[in-house]
Amino acid sequence: MSGGQHAMGVDGSYPLLIALWLLPLGGAILCWAFGPQLKTRAGWVACAAMAASLFLTALSWGAGTQAAGGLLGAHQALLSWIPGSFDFGLLLDPLSLLWALIITGVGFLIHFYSMGYMDGDRAYARFFAYMNFFVFAMLTLVLSDNFVGLLIGWGLVGLASYFLIGFWFDRPSAVAAARKAFVINVVGDVAIMFAIFAIVATVHSTAFGDAFAATGAYGPGLLFAICVGLFVGAAAKSAQIPLHTWLPDAMEGPTPVSALIHAATMVTAGVYLIARCAPLWDASPSAQLLAGSIGGLTAIVGAILGCVQWDIKRILAYSTMSQIGYMIMGVGVGAYAGGVAHFFTHAFFKAQLFLAAGLIIHALANEQDVRRMGGLRTKMPFAFWAILTGVLSICGIPFFSGFFSKDAVIYGALAHGHPWLYAVGIVTAGLTAYYMFRLLFVTFLGSYRGDVDPVELGMRGAALPPAPAAGGHAHAHAPAWIMNAPVGILILPTVAIGAALMAGGEGSPWARYFAPQFAAQTLPPAPISEIATSLIVLLAVAAGFAVAWQRYAAKNAQANAVVRLRDESLRMPALLTNLFYFDAVIDLLFVRTSQLFGTLVARVFDPHVIDGAVRELAEIARSTGTLVRSLETGLLRAYALILAFGAACFIVYYALAAGGLR
Amino acid sequence: MPVDIGNYIALSTVMFFIGVGGVLLRRNPLIMLMSIELMFNAANLLFMAFARAWLANAGQVFAFLVITVAAAEAAIGLAIVVSTFRDEKNVDVDEIRLMRG
Amino acid sequence: MIAFWILGAIAIVSAMWTVTAKKPVYSVIALLVNFAALAVLYVTLSAEFLAVMQIIVYSGAILVLFVFVIALLSSGVAPFSAGPNRMPKAVAPAIAIVLAALGFVVYATLGTRIAPSGRAPAAATLGPVGTAGVFGSVADFGKALFTTHLLPFEITALILMVAVIGVVLLAGDRVPYVPTRRRANEVERSAREAILRGGE
Repeated sequence: MSGGQHAMGVDGSYPLLIALWLLPLGGAILCWAFGPQLKTRAGWVACAAMAASLFLTALSWGAGTQAAGGLLGAHQALLSWIPGSFDFGLLLDPLSLLWALIITGVGFLIHFYSMGYMDGDRAYARFFAYMNFFVFAMLTLVLSDNFVGLLIGWGLVGLASYFLIGFWFDRPSAVAAARKAFVINVVGDVAIMFAIFAIVATVHSTAFGDAFAATGAYGPGLLFAICVGLFVGAAAKSAQIPLHTWLPDAMEGPTPVSALIHAATMVTAGVYLIARCAPLWDASPSAQLLAGSIGGLTAIVGAILGCVQWDIKRILAYSTMSQIGYMIMGVGVGAYAGGVAHFFTHAFFKAQLFLAAGLIIHALANEQDVRRMGGLRTKMPFAFWAILTGVLSICGIPFFSGFFSKDAVIYGALAHGHPWLYAVGIVTAGLTAYYMFRLLFVTFLGSYRGDVDPVELGMRGAALPPAPAAGGHAHAHAPAWIMNAPVGILILPTVAIGAALMAGGEGSPWARYFAPQFAAQTLPPAPISEIATSLIVLLAVAAGFAVAWQRYAAKNAQANAVVRLRDESLRMPALLTNLFYFDAVIDLLFVRTSQLFGTLVARVFDPHVIDGAVRELAEIARSTGTLVRSLETGLLRAYALILAFGAACFIVYYALAAGGLR
Repeated sequence: MPVDIGNYIALSTVMFFIGVGGVLLRRNPLIMLMSIELMFNAANLLFMAFARAWLANAGQVFAFLVITVAAAEAAIGLAIVVSTFRDEKNVDVDEIRLMRG
Repeated sequence: MIAFWILGAIAIVSAMWTVTAKKPVYSVIALLVNFAALAVLYVTLSAEFLAVMQIIVYSGAILVLFVFVIALLSSGVAPFSAGPNRMPKAVAPAIAIVLAALGFVVYATLGTRIAPSGRAPAAATLGPVGTAGVFGSVADFGKALFTTHLLPFEITALILMVAVIGVVLLAGDRVPYVPTRRRANEVERSAREAILRGGE
């Protein structure tokens, strides 16, 4: 634990942790058990649990950031299975405190928002039970002080995600998406499990502190294997290539779910895992290169795919994937504070974007295709301004939150010696500007196209969104204050939190906050300064904005919007409409092969070997029975002959085999 | 001992197999039972010969037990014959089919 | 030695006669001769008590029992062995193996001497038949029977009792006599009806 790296909290108990950890579970149980009685009050119960948890988390600020005797944060032991090597406990240090704050804070706002969004749904209470359960699971993940607890939380958030993606289980597409997400996440769970096995086999302990105490104990090969195992888990949870395909499909869930789980918190668990295991990654440069490369690749691929989507939530989903790519790139190359900062700001602005998109979707009776929107600026000015601030922030316009964190990641890639990732980050920033402004322009400018024939817009019949769910609202009505308030509150951090916390480089509050958490790094000066980097990024953003403006916002483009959108839809390259064939390749590699194997088993192995064996046994028994039955003649003398024959056989045996009678 | 024990074994074996042949070839249950008695006696002869050779009277005791069992066997066998063939016109074991599988 | 050959010849011939006799009565007589020959052989093997037992139990009890049964069954003027020979023809190889085994044993044993192995023979005195205390005398035999081998002797009593009960059950009047499957079904049905009627 060198250079201020602390993994174990200050000794002594901190029972408040248990309370803030279990409160959402209590809310979930209440909502689940008394849903029919609570009815719409379930939302208030869930929100109260969240608010209390948030309050306690905020109260724990001092405990989480304290440092005493080389130990950092607060620790609360829970139970000891194998004392000294397998103890469960809760740990609140700056890293987990940050995550806990986002989970409970943004989580509270989204819970509040959901009371409006889910209003009238048949399974209102069940929704809040799942949401609270998710928060509990996520807190388990980030507060655990050992790998096993982390893996339990890891699995539980996957389960909660499965429940919530498939929340509208009468939609086949939602069920399929939930299943896909769960299966891909389990791949990651298993990979982490093997990494834990390797760690336990070496250090004989599951606790973070023991695992990180001596990274030299692993040896470079095993350390790389452990990092790869952890990274596969992180990639599955954080939608990194090639395990990202579940995230866009996960948009089948209700919009608040997308905002909370598939944008703000759960999908960033991979970032948390890498940041948590920073000592391991620091010790394995090849694993860092792998993680950084995959992160950069995911960032640019997500951005490219975001440019060709029409479903507003899918655009945001690919945007999320791309931004998480940034984060993974940041923590992967070793720029932990930068990567975590991007998680922090992203949680706000992406939640805001999703919630604002939810306002539109809610108002348009579950219409999600941006081609059928248009001209909403005048009808929904609040949503417009909310999305605009989110777009400015995600694009990294100076002094918005995203500016600070994104530039920190991009510059971090260069500073840690990865110029290619630096270039990728800049290109991605330009693409991000393009697709986000495209979203903004197509949705809010021009004239409303909801009454245009979908075929005119180049929409295929099969691509139509499902019929509005029960409780669909009237056309374009104003959302209730319950939904507007959280969006309004989120505007504040979206705009300002970066400037408030991250301005000022090494002396910023952010840097001071994380100084005791991550090992101090002395890096050679980068060839391009941070200011210059910001300017280059801005240039790319400006280019992306210009293209988007020219294509969607110029006068001529607005006037011919319908024709242009149809042309774009129909002339899109097959490579892009098929999303780089990731699904097809995964299908071919894993699904088809296992299907083939299954078919082989079902057609050949099962009938001819398994069934065949059973049938043959029966046949043998039957024929033996027939044979023996023919001996059962009922003829007394035949029986006597068999007896005599047997006795004679004994005699012959002794005569021949046992050396004769002499 | 003037007579080699091998000769007793040979005599006993021949008698035993004559009994076997009787059981196998005759269809009269009484003669079959008598053949069984022949086999018992062949076995007894062997016991006696070995008891003499080993000078151990365990063989004689065993032969005594064999005689007892033979008596019991004969009694039960004859009872079965009587009960089975009391009402039949023919006495032929081939006609008994109760044990047919 | 000569006695052995003569007695052996008598035993074998009488055994063959027993098996091949047309009428059971002749078989009984042949068997009687066989048993007598064996009894004499027992005497030459210094088993005087068993020689006497052979005569009394076998000849006196068992064979008489056979004669009684023959008399009982013959009273109905039932010809023996009237049906067709149902023995399958395919059993010839089995019979061949049995005969081969016989031939082998006779070849292997005739004229050989097998020395006692393992434990040394018990220290027992040999003497003329009828002498007190020698091997095979009644006293010697009785002592072995009622001391060393008491338990088998007691078990014999049990066997005899079981046999007596079995005979009574088998040959007694109360047990339905079951010669054929059809009869068995009839008996079973009537028994069931009896039970249904209320166990009259």
